[in-house]
Amino acid sequence: MDVSEAGEAATVVRWANRALARINAVMTTLGMCALVAASLVLTHSVITRYVLGYATDWQDTIAVFCLVGAVFLSSAHVQSIGGHIAIEALAEILPPRINRIRRVMVLWCSFAFCAFFAWKSWTLTYEAWTEGYRLASSFSPPLSIPYFMMSVGMTLLTVQIFLQAIARRPPPPALEAPTRPVGNV
Amino acid sequence: MSDTLIGFAYGGVTLFLMFAGVPIAFALGATAVLFMLFFMPTSSLDTVTQNVYEEMASITLLSIPLFILKGVAIGRSRAGQDLYSALHVWLGRVPGGLGVANVLACGVFAAMAGSSPATCSAIGGAGIPEMRKFGYSPGLAAGIIAAGGTLGILLPPSITMILYAVAAQVSLGRLFLAGVGPGLLLLTLFAAYAVYKYSAEARQEKVAANASAAARRPLLAFTFREKMGALPRILPFVILLIGVMIALYGGYATPSETAGLGAVLALLLIAMIYGIWTPRELRPILSATLRESTMLMLIIGMSLLFSYVMSYLHISQSAAMWMVSLHLSRWLLLAGILMIVVVLGFFLPPVSIILMIAPIILPPLKADGFDLIWFGVVMTIVMEMGLIHPPVGLNIFVIKSIAPDIRLRELVFGILPFVVLMLLAVVMLCVWPEIVTWLPKAVMG
Repeated sequence: MDVSEAGEAATVVRWANRALARINAVMTTLGMCALVAASLVLTHSVITRYVLGYATDWQDTIAVFCLVGAVFLSSAHVQSIGGHIAIEALAEILPPRINRIRRVMVLWCSFAFCAFFAWKSWTLTYEAWTEGYRLASSFSPPLSIPYFMMSVGMTLLTVQIFLQAIARRPPPPALEAPTRPVGNV
Repeated sequence: MSDTLIGFAYGGVTLFLMFAGVPIAFALGATAVLFMLFFMPTSSLDTVTQNVYEEMASITLLSIPLFILKGVAIGRSRAGQDLYSALHVWLGRVPGGLGVANVLACGVFAAMAGSSPATCSAIGGAGIPEMRKFGYSPGLAAGIIAAGGTLGILLPPSITMILYAVAAQVSLGRLFLAGVGPGLLLLTLFAAYAVYKYSAEARQEKVAANASAAARRPLLAFTFREKMGALPRILPFVILLIGVMIALYGGYATPSETAGLGAVLALLLIAMIYGIWTPRELRPILSATLRESTMLMLIIGMSLLFSYVMSYLHISQSAAMWMVSLHLSRWLLLAGILMIVVVLGFFLPPVSIILMIAPIILPPLKADGFDLIWFGVVMTIVMEMGLIHPPVGLNIFVIKSIAPDIRLRELVFGILPFVVLMLLAVVMLCVWPEIVTWLPKAVMG
């Protein structure tokens, strides 16, 4: 690859990074709305049952769809800020050069898994769409809706990891094990 | 290849990927997929995503993001500081009362927020400087907050317990109630130790430098008016706590609906009391919730896939049978299992520990006659210890970030007595299991 080709490739990567950051921002906003919507829907369920005196069965399903969407659609953004926690014990022991190689290998390994998962998610979505799979309940919404959100989320996550791997730029180590944010977890 | 060899290979590959630094969720998923590829029918690979979705799409599990939202909303407001200040006013005159106020504030806040780091940060941010100002040693002040914070995963609603209830297939309502007695026991032990240690430090100082020490450790006198004036600051927390509990145990709402209701109530409270309601102010709260929830739910989804493969390949069954074949006494078996939990707690968050090892350890425990709800509580306390003891000890790092001038050595030595108290609590629960089982029986029959 000569200098001009390398320059073009770098431009494409920069453009892709910017585009993905914008998409992630939109997905994160959607995820935030979905979180609030799920809370409101479940609260509505309690109110209708005990205040208005009738029970409905769609709230749990809608809440599940909202939360599945929120989780998968924001997974690429979480990866971009180093939010998927890992054990980084080796990082402090290995020499810097070996450690750099390790971190890139980690990204390619994560990429391979997420790419496989994204591929299988799309095949599942296609199957659910063409076969008309529906949830077994009286509300019975199409299952292709949550599968689609899972596919989009995992695809964005795969692209995010791919861009980090080709740029040899691991996610910031903000949330590695010693500072993992979830004690209750 | 025998089940045992496959089991060792499965464990080995998982540990290799995790220690290489692959994010925990992807390491668990990748190991599961790899072993499906080599040891299961090829068609099983087509069901990977469906498996993960079906396991994750449980409304009980998906209540976790909403409990996190409630915790983050409370944690990011001034609620912790207000709660601490109000308790401070009421307990100021008791020797060591400031320490007790901090322990109680941690307990109440932990029950609302359900998060250890959030509790440490919210209460410790105001509590540690205040305690040090009034003569508490840095180690004791840090120990009180670090230990108090751990109650977040024991007092209901605890995310750790939601996962345990799913993994052990026990009633979540009972499990939540079962955590209350031990939670109060730990609160009492921590508070008693704070009073004892404070008094001991005061005596030592008096011997060393008479009058000046007495001057540094004044008892705070607040007027009756000031005490009554502090009450409204606690009221919102009491409403939230009682509201959520009534909804859950009064039969008005399922655990997932309680999570939704709790999140809405928390958002309403911070809007009305602290004026946090504009999209700009709410965005950091929702963003932090999303980050934590996504990370956690992906670990949970992949852990469930990991457990499914482990079960399909008979790894969990073989390991469980091996444990039973050792014919250990029931207490030795319990001690061994708790040791494994402690060691895993050095590296892994409680969610992964529960979902990865539950299929292996629960059958032998059940066979030996252990009540799985009782064990869930004991295991949670042991995992709490992992939050405050080295090498990882998440709460240690949180304290270090809010009080960077406290040396790590002081911090660790200040925290260690609380680890011993937690061990003592585990022993007490073994001797008197009713501390755990009484409340669920009394409320739910």
